[in-house]
Amino acid sequence: MQGATLSRWTMAYFAAACLMLLAGQGLMVAGYGYPAADIAAPETLVLVHVLAIGWLSLLMAGALLQFVPVLVARPLSAAPLAAPALALLLAGLGFLIAGFVALSGATDLPLFFMPLGGAFLGLGFGFVAIILAATLFAARPLPLPACFVATGVVALLGAILLGAAFTLVLSGVSGNPFLARLVAGGVELHAVLGLGGWLSVTAAGVSYRLLSMFLLSPETERPTSRAVWWVVSLAIGLVVAAVATVLLAVPGKDVLFVAALLLTLAAGVLYSGDVRQIYRARRRRQAELNIRASFPAFAALLLSIVFVNIPIVRTGEGVAAITYLFVFGWLTGLGLAQLYKIVAFLTWLEAYGPVLGRGPVPRVQDLVDERQAAVWFVLYYGAVAAATLALFWGHAAFFRAMVLLQTVATLVLMREFVRARRLSAVPAATRAPAGFVRPHLFCPPSASRR
Amino acid sequence: MDEEEKASLAAAIREALRVIIDPEIGGNIVDLGLIYAIDVEDGGIARVAMTTTTRGCPASDYLKDAVSTCVWDVPGVEYAEVRLTYEPPWTPDMMAQAE
Repeated sequence: MQGATLSRWTMAYFAAACLMLLAGQGLMVAGYGYPAADIAAPETLVLVHVLAIGWLSLLMAGALLQFVPVLVARPLSAAPLAAPALALLLAGLGFLIAGFVALSGATDLPLFFMPLGGAFLGLGFGFVAIILAATLFAARPLPLPACFVATGVVALLGAILLGAAFTLVLSGVSGNPFLARLVAGGVELHAVLGLGGWLSVTAAGVSYRLLSMFLLSPETERPTSRAVWWVVSLAIGLVVAAVATVLLAVPGKDVLFVAALLLTLAAGVLYSGDVRQIYRARRRRQAELNIRASFPAFAALLLSIVFVNIPIVRTGEGVAAITYLFVFGWLTGLGLAQLYKIVAFLTWLEAYGPVLGRGPVPRVQDLVDERQAAVWFVLYYGAVAAATLALFWGHAAFFRAMVLLQTVATLVLMREFVRARRLSAVPAATRAPAGFVRPHLFCPPSASRR
Repeated sequence: MDEEEKASLAAAIREALRVIIDPEIGGNIVDLGLIYAIDVEDGGIARVAMTTTTRGCPASDYLKDAVSTCVWDVPGVEYAEVRLTYEPPWTPDMMAQAE
């Protein structure tokens, strides 16, 4: 065994994540949550968690199950936990959402669903963390991209603990003054640990390796890349320290938070430079669509980091627009762009890996139709930019119209993922070589196949 | 087997391996420089040293199996052994022409 094999449950994670993205966007189109409701209203919490946990975290967890073994050239440890983790996460999200809906007063469901959801999510994310941590621990000393994942897992645990504490207070299960202080002053820290520490740091780390792989750039460890890791790790440390100040009711939270944001700005600038260097050093003349469609995401990352460092934007209504740009421009844009490649790559491994060498097989690139998808990526990012501006200027109706366009673009891109799974774009001559087994849409391959 | 027969068998193996593509880059693994060595010994014993474009690549085992299958199928090969190595690690400079 030289390293990675096909992760059995990754496609199931991706399928669930895609459905959650559609659900979240559908809620926004329907006018549920912000801006129709307050930014801290239960309805907005429903929306935020469907997207942050249901879409982004399931996507990231599924991707890491496949790619952490690639980063460390070792098989996944504790891999049997992947399936129960997915079930726990989906159940936990369901209970959490039910709790938020109850909090909004829309139903008579018990508020206890909130901490119940927190417990299920804690277990589910705990399983994911065990898989990742055990794999990384066995592979020490870690290559740099894996160090980013380790930092991301720490941030994930911080975000889960804070979120679980919030559910205890919001549901009335606990009146502990320490926890009550967390709810009053720790919401932005929870968000930064989740969206920044867990999702973004991990995405950036994995991107170092994947960009080099897909662009055929030399996989060298740049001093600037290591600096990015140190800076983001320090920033997360400051956020954790800020959580402690809130818990203990001592001053310093704002200073620590602002310092963490400034460090993030420095990391963002260095990271952008690294991405540019990797692209310039490529041996592949024409970058594939997953790379080209990631560029707007990198721009959205940098823009949102710059804006969040401007106090007047951060503290006013602008924070919603920045968050939207960060979630849909950076995280979702990058996620959709990389899914476009990863789905085809995993499908190729499943369908053609076992028959390789026994006759002609298609390339991974033959599983996709880039010309068709490129148009929808342009529409997607255009809609995200317009929706961000609409939020910033307070045009709710235009915002919903742009989210509708964004949802249509997302739907068409997901249709492309399904077409890749169905091998629809593969030339008939090489589509079904002898001995090949057609992959399931999202169910795992049978255990006998790698 | 004399040296000429061994060289001929090695050339036949190299040619047979051109049917195998790297799924990501699309080119055949010989032109991509993923086959480091093909040694043929007396009795039709073939030993192949190969690599993949990236360490830990999920396609590694499939590529190794494919090479093994191909080598076994070459007429004159009585025994085939395929070794996956990352010393030296593959770099894009090793391929004749990137896509």
